[in-house]
Amino acid sequence: MLQDYLLPESVADAIEVLKSGNGQARIIAGGTDLLLDIADGKKEAVCLVDITRIPELKKITLEDGVIRVGAAVTHNQAAKSELINEKAFALAQAARSVGSLQIRNSGTVVGNVVNAQPAADTAVALVALGAVAEIASPGGVDLVPVEKMYAGIGKSAVDSTARLVTGVKFPARSKNQGSAFVRLAQRRALALPMLNVAVMVSLEEDRFQWVRIAMAPVGPGPVRATGAEEFLRGAAVDPEVIKKAAREAAVQADPRDSALRGSREYRLAVLPVLVRRALEMAVAQAKR
Amino acid sequence: MTTKLLKFTLNGEMTEVAVSPSDMLVDVIRDRLNLIGTKKGCGKGECGACTVIMNGEAVNSCLVPAMKAMGAAVETIEGIGGPEKFHPLQESFMDLGAIQCGFCTPGMIMSSKALLDKNVNPTSEEVREAIAGNICRCTGYVKIEEAVFAAAKKMRENQIGRDRNEQF
Amino acid sequence: MSSFNVVGQNVRRLDAVEKASGTAVFSTDFKLPGMLYGKVLRSPYPHARIVNIDTSGAEKLPGVKAVATHKNTPREKFNTSATMTFTVPTYEPVLDQYIFDNVVRYVGDEVAAVAAVSEQVAEEALKLIRVEYEPLPAVFDPLEAMSPEAPVIHECATGKNIPGEIIRIPFGDIEKGLAESDVIIEEHFKVPVQKQVQMETQAAVAQVGADGKITVWSTTQTPHPSRMILSKVFGVPHSKIRVLNPPYVGGGFGVRIGLSAKAEPIAVALAMLARKPVKVVYSRKEDFIASDTRHGGYVTVKLGARKDGAFHAIQMKGILNAGAYCSFSCETPGVLGAMGLAVYRIPHQYYYGHSVYTNTTPSGAMRGFGNPQAMFAIESVVDMMAEKLGMDPLELRLKNIMRVGDPWCLPYKCSSTGLAQCIERGARSIGWERRGKLNRPGDKKLRGIGMGVGTHVSNAWPFCVDYDNAYVTIQQDGSVHLAAGVPDIGTGTSTTLPQFVAEVLGVRLDQVSMAFADTLTTPFDIGSHASRTCYAAGTAVVAAARDARKQILDYAADFLKVAPEGLDIKDSVIYVTGPNVGAECAGTGVCRAGGGERTSVTLKELAYHAHLRNKQFIGVGRIVPDNAPPWHAHFAEVEVDTETGQVRVIKMAAAHDVGKAINPGIVEGQIEGGVLMGVGYALSEEIRYDEKGRQLQDSIHKYMLPTAEDRPEIDAIIVEAEDPTGPFGAKGVGETGLVPTAGAVANAVYNAAGIRLKEIPLTPEKVFRALQEKRGEA
Ligand code: FES
Ligand code: FES
Repeated sequence: MLQDYLLPESVADAIEVLKSGNGQARIIAGGTDLLLDIADGKKEAVCLVDITRIPELKKITLEDGVIRVGAAVTHNQAAKSELINEKAFALAQAARSVGSLQIRNSGTVVGNVVNAQPAADTAVALVALGAVAEIASPGGVDLVPVEKMYAGIGKSAVDSTARLVTGVKFPARSKNQGSAFVRLAQRRALALPMLNVAVMVSLEEDRFQWVRIAMAPVGPGPVRATGAEEFLRGAAVDPEVIKKAAREAAVQADPRDSALRGSREYRLAVLPVLVRRALEMAVAQAKR
Repeated sequence: MTTKLLKFTLNGEMTEVAVSPSDMLVDVIRDRLNLIGTKKGCGKGECGACTVIMNGEAVNSCLVPAMKAMGAAVETIEGIGGPEKFHPLQESFMDLGAIQCGFCTPGMIMSSKALLDKNVNPTSEEVREAIAGNICRCTGYVKIEEAVFAAAKKMRENQIGRDRNEQF
Repeated sequence: MSSFNVVGQNVRRLDAVEKASGTAVFSTDFKLPGMLYGKVLRSPYPHARIVNIDTSGAEKLPGVKAVATHKNTPREKFNTSATMTFTVPTYEPVLDQYIFDNVVRYVGDEVAAVAAVSEQVAEEALKLIRVEYEPLPAVFDPLEAMSPEAPVIHECATGKNIPGEIIRIPFGDIEKGLAESDVIIEEHFKVPVQKQVQMETQAAVAQVGADGKITVWSTTQTPHPSRMILSKVFGVPHSKIRVLNPPYVGGGFGVRIGLSAKAEPIAVALAMLARKPVKVVYSRKEDFIASDTRHGGYVTVKLGARKDGAFHAIQMKGILNAGAYCSFSCETPGVLGAMGLAVYRIPHQYYYGHSVYTNTTPSGAMRGFGNPQAMFAIESVVDMMAEKLGMDPLELRLKNIMRVGDPWCLPYKCSSTGLAQCIERGARSIGWERRGKLNRPGDKKLRGIGMGVGTHVSNAWPFCVDYDNAYVTIQQDGSVHLAAGVPDIGTGTSTTLPQFVAEVLGVRLDQVSMAFADTLTTPFDIGSHASRTCYAAGTAVVAAARDARKQILDYAADFLKVAPEGLDIKDSVIYVTGPNVGAECAGTGVCRAGGGERTSVTLKELAYHAHLRNKQFIGVGRIVPDNAPPWHAHFAEVEVDTETGQVRVIKMAAAHDVGKAINPGIVEGQIEGGVLMGVGYALSEEIRYDEKGRQLQDSIHKYMLPTAEDRPEIDAIIVEAEDPTGPFGAKGVGETGLVPTAGAVANAVYNAAGIRLKEIPLTPEKVFRALQEKRGEA
């Protein structure tokens, strides 16, 4: 049963509470999912440690070409950030797609990752952007690629009763690069995606230097289309090539039949369309 | 169960109320503080009927742990205007038929107010984004959007009026 | 056209101030001193016998004040819908449920309930109730449920799992008609379970007084019939039960015609056991799984036409999924057939329809009540017929639509129609001439335009008993009080009915107040549903106001010494009419038209004058309404993403003949809201079941009703073909906004992409598959 709710004002204090809580204290950021999970008995905590009052976690910063999104940054903050829109467009679009504005005003980008839902929009974007999470614990700070944060469906590799993800960071795009996020959903707001795809491309003249493609929910977490990425490395920027890569990407997808969000067959059939559209958008941005 | 003393500013007034760590803001507002204008249509962040403005942003008060309001400024429908002086949004909702059953109305107005507080000249995409988390099953949203634009216009005019007064 | 002062004006709603300021009280807001909170334990099985139920653990939990089960609550059968109070003789209402039974018949069926000092304690207590179930075989599809192998859900005389009677509507000679037709198209359609998703969930607060009198504040759309149901269930006379709204209701759309699911009887049962007031509020999930839905099912249409396009025969069949309890499942198939047959003048018609019990959430009334199901099927077939005949679908419809005085299958007259005008104005709004010219070769996103038409009722008769009463009382200060038993579920009743009174009496609207939705303070009325309040309750209100007016004028005639025919009322002043009466001659005596010193008297003065002489003007309206057809034509422009199957509705032009629009703004609001609900019905809204009988869509998050970001442009067009039977010519509107929508959208999708889907909603996956199949054929 929940007994306490703390609002520490520094990371050190938050870590200290976790430590003394011995697995009974749990980090809460936006709390849009956590409180419901606790009410439904899906998660437990005796003490909640609210990190949204920690000033350094509320910022989006750019330093040495690296963007850092603090753990208390809300979806809406990310969606409206000029920096994110300019330098990491996929994340801005993904953050804009989550739930509703009210949810985007409470829920956080990092919380979306830690919550480990397979289709978490911002997690898909972060994987495409090559993001790394900073995880603080009494033992120090670890860096873990966002891709590696999933321990299974709905299971995070981070134990929020012991460690605190303080933020995620990723390189800002340079001139020849672009990123994009596309999503297929049954409704434009308040809907989980049937599919979502994020890509980042780096061009060299008329060729792809490298590409990162992340897709969901086609596995326990965002899935990288490594085959397609490999195929595109050094390939010409050409509609047919992109189409082929998009088909190749779908080969690595393993969606489940979902009565709510579409059959496996359907999702496999339209996934290449989304990958193609995302690539086209990202290429257009890189060329601008 | 441990209770904590929640201190926050509610509709401009310093308010203190004992809450438990698992209490949600919506229940504190409705049941403890008896401000029933804030509605509860789902309790899960799906409908927006419980929308309040916290520190300038529209949030679903059913998803906000009450303790998160510690030290915050919270506005509900009761705080933005009443028969003595209605807020332009309340006026336009009444005049343009944006109210039917009225259950979504307080949340809808609060979401719209959060938008207009920052932007008195919104595009229709911005208006729709602001209210997409507020389900209205009665109106089809048509007259609601019209009412938001009408209120925005009035607020722009008021602003111009104020600016003029300040100049002189 | 005659002009009016209040009728036809866009006056601000009388409930607007309370609703905009956050002070309007709804059932979910209602509190009483010492009130307890009730929570319901629901079945996890679609069909099971309760072998044992042990509530001792729950009873011991501190804070628990009562636990109700089938063992300690009345064993009196009822029907949660108002049908049990107004089924038309010689039909018999189907009574098939108890508050709690020892058999559960769908996932969500009521097993037990707890009253406790808080919602949390009540919820804890539910977990302590031990129930031993013996699962029984279950069936979820209505066609399967009729088969010999299917489990019996309720014993039925008519046929396996068929509640009530089979509806047959014969008209002309169908065999002959089909034989004489040159072209015949027969198609089968499947329609989904749609949910009302009114924003306020089902709720009731019950109080049982020391004297045994029961008061229930609830979300019902029909306080008087609800009182009749509770009276039967609890064996308490009508006179000792009061049912009322508090006074506002957060939407209805049919979901609480009768009881608010079982919120009222559960609250009353718990209040009786606990001897304290009890509040029961359904969670959104309970509202989804355990309160009536629209009927899903199957509709077949066989349409025959002559070569020249004249429709000659139509045969229809409707098999609807009743769910686990009857609710309105006897009436809905009837309305489906009757409304479907009433749109076109077709000499030979036949309809056969009924519902079938299954182990799913009960289906009941929802906006349109069978009609949207009918019109999706019919309007799809009419479009197919146009193509087959090589005719413009608009022209084909114009050629065949019902005209005033045409014979039809309904027991009242087709007394007005503005449908041709609806078609013309809707077509202009959408740009019908652009149809077929919207796409270029190679386009991946294809645009299309389609249309659908329909009619409806303006009250429940002849499908239900239907009559209305109203009182109009002139207060001693000349202000006016109206009492009518209909709720305002958001449709504007508490504004439009006072508008009638103000118009008839010649007083300003702000002089009229209204008591509504309360069995104690209003005369009997069957409630707000069937698009009837403005038309039917309005007729009673107008009658009551005319009665009061007559009393006023008779009295004023004596007072002003003039015949009552020479008097009129304006702005609460009764004055002598005539050419020479005006401000300038008032009191001069020269141009005086009456025999007295004065030519006018205020209603205030007159009412007080009467009061001092032991008299009050009280008008009574007691009417049995006629019925009248509203008409509508919807035009949809859609865009089909052929790569993903996604359909977007760009614009809906919705032209509605509503008769006289009493408050045009409110009428537009009804249309706009209905249209968007219809777009949801066409594209995305449905509740389906898994193999264990669980509702897949049990939250707003999973149930895809449109948000503000999903809405198309909606052009609500009002056409006013005034009906001689309606008050000031008004007809019904409330339900009509979504009657032809799905047909229009499906026809637009066909026009865009050449795919004809016979099952809604048109989800991306269904559309994608159809596109694939089409490509395969090509
Ligand atoms: S009650 Fe909070 S979003 Fe529905
Ligand atoms: S007015 Fe009824 S839900 Fe919006």
